[in-house]
Amino acid sequence: MAVATALDTGQAQFVFRPETTRLMAKGTWNAFLGIMVVVFIWWFVAEAMMFLRGVPFPTPPETMSAFWQAIMGADVHGESIFAHANASLQRWGQGYLIALVLGLALGLAFGTMPRLHDVGMISVYVFQMIPGLAWIPIAMLIFGLGETATVFIIVMTAIPPLVINTAGGIREVPAVYTRVARMSGKDDSALFMKVLLPAASLSIINGMRIGLANGWRVLIAAEMVVGVALGLGFSIYQSRYSLDFTASFVSIMAICIIGLTIEKLLFVSMENRVRNRLGLDRED
Amino acid sequence: MLASLRNVSKVFTDPRNGRGLVALNGIDLDVKEGEFLCLIGSSGCGKSTTLNLLAGFESPTRGDVLFKGKKVIGPSPERGVVFQEPSLYPWMSVLQNVMFSVQEKNGRESLAMEYLKMVGLDGFANSRPSDLSGGMKQRVAIARALAMGPDLLLMDEPFGSLDEQTRRKLDNDVLRLWKEGSKTVVFVTHNIDEALMLGTRVVLMSASPGRIEREWVLDADWPRDLSSPSMMSLREEIIGMLQACACANGAAPVQLLTIGD
Repeated sequence: MAVATALDTGQAQFVFRPETTRLMAKGTWNAFLGIMVVVFIWWFVAEAMMFLRGVPFPTPPETMSAFWQAIMGADVHGESIFAHANASLQRWGQGYLIALVLGLALGLAFGTMPRLHDVGMISVYVFQMIPGLAWIPIAMLIFGLGETATVFIIVMTAIPPLVINTAGGIREVPAVYTRVARMSGKDDSALFMKVLLPAASLSIINGMRIGLANGWRVLIAAEMVVGVALGLGFSIYQSRYSLDFTASFVSIMAICIIGLTIEKLLFVSMENRVRNRLGLDRED
Repeated sequence: MLASLRNVSKVFTDPRNGRGLVALNGIDLDVKEGEFLCLIGSSGCGKSTTLNLLAGFESPTRGDVLFKGKKVIGPSPERGVVFQEPSLYPWMSVLQNVMFSVQEKNGRESLAMEYLKMVGLDGFANSRPSDLSGGMKQRVAIARALAMGPDLLLMDEPFGSLDEQTRRKLDNDVLRLWKEGSKTVVFVTHNIDEALMLGTRVVLMSASPGRIEREWVLDADWPRDLSSPSMMSLREEIIGMLQACACANGAAPVQLLTIGD
């Protein structure tokens, strides 16, 4: 309508009422379709496995109802789902906090000191290549079985993306930004705080986001070595012995929901704020 | 003499592939107080390197760069630079960008506003650089360079990426600011007309290795008429020399000399 009118009347520019509600409805519908695809694949695999192999593969409806019961207080591998989630969140929170402090400090140091970067990045790349499960023997050797070992594994998997993105972000700050600060008579600390840090902020946030996701995903592996029978990862692993696969599917769902919620709530809004500040386009 | 290059050479070496590039070889150049010096030449002739040496972003391989009789050891607010590429901080407002370079401790905001007024952008103080056009961004960059209170204004093809109309308008702005502030300007451009329109002196550089080919002193008053006979003949002369240099550059590359250690 608006487009046709503009063309017919020969306008160069025009305004029209943005179709916010329609776009939002479309976005919601697309998200719903996306979820449906996941459920469909899951259901198909479940039915196929039950038919071909005769195993009790939990279907989406079974898992949903078990999930609902768990929310209402039913036990999942000996504890309520909230106790499991709480234990996991605490371990992950501790690990991520340590990783955040260490990773940012290392990344900032590597980003500003080229020699340190060239030497230090080798070990970061090596650490990054080690999969989460492979940290288990190392963690056990250093800390034995228990909470500390779990937190250690989370720290080690969350640190590399933090360091790589922080250092990379600072090193990729255009030289002209530094030159402007230098000719304006700024010292090292002003250059760092007022120019390098804001210029690299998007990359740093990206590293924080990947580190967060890494740490959350490695929980399953990390909780194989916890001493106490508590945690979403422990609960998943426990189905090897209990054969209660529905319970482990409930835990998998809880992990996905918590992880996505944290990422969407925390990081998407943070990233959009920074993008806005940098004059870049928003990301949904 | 405000600034001078004394027998300056600049060599860039790349240790990874063992290649050396002589950007400048034995350059002597004096920048006199109050002049508007235009550096022209084809790309790769060392114009920008000369400017970066004057700014203190690069240090000479051989020879001395002097400013007010003292050796240049690094960038300083005495020498303001307007860059060719976008150089405003996107996370700061237009006003904050200018304030960043104001040297005075007190009244930074009102001082920054004054400089924005000079380039006619005080109405955009709270805008983001991303909301401005290319020409407006460069005007803010000029305001920022002026806000440093420099004795020498160095401009590195500042309007090279702008359209012809905007470039002419900004050339006039620069000319006005130069006259009002009685600054000294070194202006790098590859546009001969721009150099003839602005400069009190035009220095032609040529490449491989970068050196100074010739210079002309222009005493015509502004606004200049580029279609006047004297300007036309000067223009022809410069184009002729530029082509001669370009032909020399375009000749078959000589065998690279390998220098052992």
